[in-house]
Amino acid sequence: MRTAPADVVATLSHVPGVAVAMVVGAADGLIVETSGVKGGAAAGPDTRKHTAALAAYLYSKVSRASHAARLGTPSFMRLEAERGNICVVGAEDIVLVTIVTPEANLGRVRLDMMQAVRDKS
Amino acid sequence: MTDLSVVEPWVAGPLKNLAEDARLISGVLLYPSGRAVGQFGFSKAADVMSICALTSAINASSRELGRQLYGKPFYEMHHAGGDRQVFMARCMAGAHEFLFVGVFDRESSLGMVEIYFAEFQKALEQLQPDTEPVKPLPAGDFERELNRSLDSLFGPIG
Repeated sequence: MRTAPADVVATLSHVPGVAVAMVVGAADGLIVETSGVKGGAAAGPDTRKHTAALAAYLYSKVSRASHAARLGTPSFMRLEAERGNICVVGAEDIVLVTIVTPEANLGRVRLDMMQAVRDKS
Repeated sequence: MTDLSVVEPWVAGPLKNLAEDARLISGVLLYPSGRAVGQFGFSKAADVMSICALTSAINASSRELGRQLYGKPFYEMHHAGGDRQVFMARCMAGAHEFLFVGVFDRESSLGMVEIYFAEFQKALEQLQPDTEPVKPLPAGDFERELNRSLDSLFGPIG
């Protein structure tokens, strides 16, 4: 059964440590559906549009690198930064993007994102 | 990217950043009247002349279309072609109004172009000189003004 983008976002945003969950167009980098911003990130300016566009762009470049290395399509991408992580999973024409706090259970986040992609297809 | 050229030097920095950050193939910044302010990616004045005239006309048409359909003008347009895409938008720097048209391919995306265009607008806002904005021209002056700005970008023709 195909899951609606709103349901995917709602499910992922309830995973502990997920500050933002978004469904983003893979080709255009535009937000299809997004959660609100939770935790400390909510205090600053809203950067979801920037994050979505850049994460989708980065994922497309990582995919090219992966194919160039003959590894096939990347299944999960995680960018570790000083104050958290950006996780991306591709699903054909869309990518799931989450902004995750450093304290989050990344295994759980990864599992739930992969499950969301399976449910979508 | 072909070298950038500008008529007004203060737009050079923001325009260069926009071209590089958004990975645009080519672009033209112009006044709504059709007068070119800066360009990158073009080597022929005739190409820029056509783009300025068309962009100016499309802007006028789309604004009116927006008014007719929704009661307010459209200020941003995007056309997704097979290989290349066109982004067209207006931006304000104080009282100065500009139009921008840019071309990109799969090395960029609409989302990328939109976020760097927003930064471009902010940069123009900060750098704008304290001068009077260019007033709309009488219809007969359009070609002369366009040629003058093209001469500034590419040098006099013939």
